[in-house]
Amino acid sequence: MLHKSFQNSAGAALLPAHGIGASATKPAISIAGLRVAFGDVPVLHGVDLAVNKGEALGIVGESGCGKSVTWRAVLGLLPKSAEIGGEARIGDLDLVGARQSVLDRVRGGRIAMIFQDPASALNPVHRIGAQITEALRLHRGLSGAAARAQACCLLDQVGIAAAASRLNAYPHELSGGQNQRVMIAIALAGRPELLIADEPTTALDATVQAQILLLLKDIQRDTGMALVMISHDLAAVAAVCDRACVMYAGQIVETAPKHTLLTAPEHPYTRDLIGAIPPSHGPRMRLTAIAGAPPQRNLPPGCAYAPRCRHAIAVCRTSRPEPRQVAARHSVRCLRLDAGTYQ
Amino acid sequence: MTLLRLNNITRRFPLGSPLYGPRKYLVAVDGVSLDVEMGRTTGIVGESGCGKSTTGRIALGLEPPDSGGVLFQGFPLPRIDSKKWRAQRRQMQLVFQDTLAALDRRMTVSALIAEPLAIHGIGDSASREQRVAELLHGVGLGEDHGRLYPHQLSGGQRQRVVLARALAPKPSLLVCDEPVSALDLSVQAQIVNLLMDLQQELGIGLLFISHDLRVVRHVSDRIVVMYLGRVVEQGRADAIIDQPAHPYTQALVSAMPRLPGGFDHYVALPGEPPSPTDRPCGCPFHPRCPLARDVCRQSLPELLPLGPERQVACHVVRH
Repeated sequence: MLHKSFQNSAGAALLPAHGIGASATKPAISIAGLRVAFGDVPVLHGVDLAVNKGEALGIVGESGCGKSVTWRAVLGLLPKSAEIGGEARIGDLDLVGARQSVLDRVRGGRIAMIFQDPASALNPVHRIGAQITEALRLHRGLSGAAARAQACCLLDQVGIAAAASRLNAYPHELSGGQNQRVMIAIALAGRPELLIADEPTTALDATVQAQILLLLKDIQRDTGMALVMISHDLAAVAAVCDRACVMYAGQIVETAPKHTLLTAPEHPYTRDLIGAIPPSHGPRMRLTAIAGAPPQRNLPPGCAYAPRCRHAIAVCRTSRPEPRQVAARHSVRCLRLDAGTYQ
Repeated sequence: MTLLRLNNITRRFPLGSPLYGPRKYLVAVDGVSLDVEMGRTTGIVGESGCGKSTTGRIALGLEPPDSGGVLFQGFPLPRIDSKKWRAQRRQMQLVFQDTLAALDRRMTVSALIAEPLAIHGIGDSASREQRVAELLHGVGLGEDHGRLYPHQLSGGQRQRVVLARALAPKPSLLVCDEPVSALDLSVQAQIVNLLMDLQQELGIGLLFISHDLRVVRHVSDRIVVMYLGRVVEQGRADAIIDQPAHPYTQALVSAMPRLPGGFDHYVALPGEPPSPTDRPCGCPFHPRCPLARDVCRQSLPELLPLGPERQVACHVVRH
């Protein structure tokens, strides 16, 4: 029952919007074997991930699991000290190791990114109109009245009332939620194929958070762009995305459509993570407290989650699990799964 | 038995210089009344600027109210910084969100936990040492942790140290201001479980302040919902979240994504909470309220009973 209603709300709405066909199967971006190390500390241990066109994908994990580093590495936003390996392709272009001039055209153009704290991402001494038209000039070649008219449309699209007069406002004159809307408008200026939202609502109040999440979902559906939402909040990801990846210690441990992930998670970490969320309704149960903390520097010899896992057996501490396909779009990195169910 | 009672407290902060024109005020807390029962938890929930932290500080006597009174175990709080006040502070402790700021980075964990014992003159050095070991064990840390410094611990471990420190003088009231907001989900669950276990074991009353409705529902017996310095609704935790009566509580509950289900029951709420320096007249919520009528723009609704064990401040819902 639940399963069906989810498909209707997410799946069916997706179909007419961008006519799933040949284009839907071609990924907007595909990442393979992405590795990142800072000096001798590895932080990403081979991330494989494809985001389909028009898809909303969530990346969930706790701090330090590499969810932001993955996308910063793809866009060349990490400091020079980072060693990056692997590949990230959009079309025929590999972004890992690409020249700055190539990245400059991709960033803000084909791929746009918004961040947690809109107030620090916006320039405080420029009017927001100027900041939006700057993006329009760089990525769409618009200037003068045409750029201003387009900026006005964008503000309208992100739900800022009295858009024309708001173009003259400075960021400090707007609230946190409105600034995040402006950031989304700037991100949309280049008509991106892919929008990466890194904890877009973490700094916002509850009622405003819901507004921004629903705005992102609407825009993604209306424009047909792909959306990657990075968040520590599984509930927020589930409200916006069609599919979600769970990351732990620099690896993806489980990928599944969101209804599968929420109702039939396979990886013990995903289960524990869901059990750690206080329920919003129904009886109160004791929360699942995951003992210990994620590995700090080097991974343990076996499964990265084994030291904290309640289902770990001897083999989990010695050999590393590879991702295994358990259903059509559901893959899990767990050795216990190979040995049959652990329940 | 009532451990702590706030009676119609108000706190306002002056803005700008007194030299120019009439003085403007930021009204942080406006006529708030609430109770914390012994061994029970009262949760305060609301968005930023709603006055929840100021209420917590007033409850501890760290901030004097401009009007209204605070009764602790039936008696008014002594004057701040008086000898009596300091003796009473033993009974009431505070847990903050930012653990790195709350712990002196040049002291070891053992010294940090022993400090409140020394300040309140509890025991001699040998018995203090023993009490520190007990407390470390009680919050799930090992004796080895006692020799470490705050920066050598993770966020969750530091919050355990803060808890041990707060529990050292055996308080009967703990005010927790966003105690788990800075922590990762798995660690948040550890601390929430620990807090609930300790409460059960020690019978302390908790005033739990958070913006996170899920956590507040989970730990609280009663919930107080605040908006712009005023209590808009209070009652039993399950009842408030499952059947919110005030339109603001309804919006707040619907803005919490459900698992699974997302925003299936979302009630769109226009705009954002206004600044407490610029409060609308009448009901402070009326500019965003889907039910607002003329009366809401003109007069301030009082907090009145609606059914058993629930109070709501709304002109419309009550009719």
